[in-house]
Amino acid sequence: MIRVGNASGFYGDRFSAVREMLTGGELDVLTGDYLAELTMLILGRDRMKDAALGYARTFLRQLEQNLADALARGVKIVSNAGGVNPEGLAEAIDRLGLGAKVAYVTGDDVRDRFPESLTANAYLGAWGIAECLSAGADVVVTGRVTDASLVVGPAAAHFGWGREDFDALAGATVAGHVLECGAQATGGNYSFFTAIDATRPGFPIAEIEADGSSLITKHDGTGGAVTADTVTAQLLYEIGPPAYVGPDVVSHFDTIRLDPHERGVRISGVKGSPPPDTLKVCLTTLGGFRNSTTFVLTGLDVEAKADLVRRQVEAAIGPAELTWTLARTDHVDADTEETASALLHVTIKTADPQRAKAFARAGVELALASYPGFHVTAPPGDGTPFGVYRAAYVPRSSVPHRAVLPGGKVVEV
Amino acid sequence: MSASPKKVPLGVIAGARSGDKGGDANLGVWVRTDAQYEWLRAELTVERLKELLPEAGEVDRYELPNLRALNFVLHGLLGEGVASSTRFDPQAKALGEWLRSRHVEIPEDLR
Repeated sequence: MIRVGNASGFYGDRFSAVREMLTGGELDVLTGDYLAELTMLILGRDRMKDAALGYARTFLRQLEQNLADALARGVKIVSNAGGVNPEGLAEAIDRLGLGAKVAYVTGDDVRDRFPESLTANAYLGAWGIAECLSAGADVVVTGRVTDASLVVGPAAAHFGWGREDFDALAGATVAGHVLECGAQATGGNYSFFTAIDATRPGFPIAEIEADGSSLITKHDGTGGAVTADTVTAQLLYEIGPPAYVGPDVVSHFDTIRLDPHERGVRISGVKGSPPPDTLKVCLTTLGGFRNSTTFVLTGLDVEAKADLVRRQVEAAIGPAELTWTLARTDHVDADTEETASALLHVTIKTADPQRAKAFARAGVELALASYPGFHVTAPPGDGTPFGVYRAAYVPRSSVPHRAVLPGGKVVEV
Repeated sequence: MSASPKKVPLGVIAGARSGDKGGDANLGVWVRTDAQYEWLRAELTVERLKELLPEAGEVDRYELPNLRALNFVLHGLLGEGVASSTRFDPQAKALGEWLRSRHVEIPEDLR
C-alpha cells in the first residue's frame, strides 16, 4: 500500500495544507495541483514579463518552509507547480540548499505548433513522474500533466506497474481524480454540508493498493468528512462521458464501486482500456481587455433607471462589445435599503485597451447626471486582460515527454 | 388523502456538483437510494433539465447507475471559457445548486 496525499487543488489553495499534511499523520507522497486552464494563462503572462518565472510561486514558499521536514520524514513531493517553467522551478528548489534530490518532467510545451497561442501545453501522463521517482527523486515538479497523473505516477513507480496494466492505472486515476481538487473530496463545496462539520475540511489521502483500488481517507482529527456522498460529489466534478480519457488509460467511471469504510470510502472495480494515440493540448490566448461596473438601482422605476443609464453609457462609447444584465434583487416596499435595490451589471470585452478605459470614464462621468440615487458598487478600474481557452489534439509520438532526473540525466519517456 | 405529489426542491433528495471544461459546463446529480435513482433517471431527461435550467442549450446526458448519478454536459454555456465569459457564474460553480433549488414533484415515499 502507498499513501498519497493532496495539499492543493489550485494555485491559491490553503497555504498551510502542506504543513498540515506532513505533520498530521502517516504519508508516503504529498501531491499538489496548481494548474487550472486559467492558471496556464496567468503563468504564461508571468513568463512574458520574466522568462525565469512561469511557475507557482506559492509552492516554492511552501517548500521553503516544509521541505526539510518532508525529507526528514521521507515523504516525496510531486507537483505540477512547474506550470510553464518546470525547469526554472526545479532550479529554484535546488537553490533552497536543502540537499533534496529534485527532478522535473518536461516536453509538454508545444508552442512551436501553435505559434498564435500564449501557452500551448500537452497533457502528459504519469510515466515521466514514475521515472523520476524510480531514480530516487525526493521532489518531482512538472508542467502540464493531467491532474490525476500526480497520483498515478507515484503508485505506478511504487508497484512497478506496466503501461498495459490498464485496470490498475484506471483505479489510480480515479483516486487521483478524487484527490485533485483537495477539500472538494472531504466535504468542501458539498451539497449536504449541513449534515457534516464543513468548517475546515482536512485534505484527502488515497491509500492505494497494488491492484489500483484505494481507500480515500484523511488525517485523524481533521474536519470535514469522507463518505460515499462526498466522494461521489468529487467523482462527478468536471467529467464528460463515463469513459474518462487520459494520456495513459481510459478509465470507465461506470465501473467504479464505492464502499463505506470505517476510515473513509473504498474505491474498487475500476476498469481501464488503452488510451488514444493523441494527447489533448490546452491552448490559451490573450483575448483582449475586460472591464465591468455594477450600478445600484434603488426603489421605484427600476426598469426605467436601467434604461436611462444604458442609453447614457451607449451614447458615450457606443453599444458595441457591451453585455448588460439586470438582477432584480429589489423587493417592493422593502424595510432595508439593500433589499430595495436592484443591480445592473455591464461588462465590456474589447481588443482595445483604450476603449476599456473609456468605459470606466463613461461610468464615472454619470455620477451627478443620471438616475436618482445613482451609485456603483465599486469604482471601475482600467480593465484587465482576459484569456481565451481552447483544446486541440496532437499525435502522442510528436510530444517529447522527458524526465530530467536528479543530477541532470535525461530520460525519454 | 392522495393528491398529485407536492412540489419540493430537487435538492431535498439530490446532491449536485458542477464546473467548467472550456466553454462547456458539466453538472453531476446524484441520489442515495436505488428507488430514488430509478425516479431520477426517468424524471431528469434532457428535456426536463432544459425546462428547469432554461439557460441550457445543447445538452448531453450520461448515466452512472453505479454512483446513482446522472452527468450532464451543457455545451457552450460558458462561451469561450472561464477566462473570457461574461456569464453570471462564469465557471458554472453554482449551476448544480441552482438545479437543486428548482421545485419538482418527488413522490412522498422517496423523500
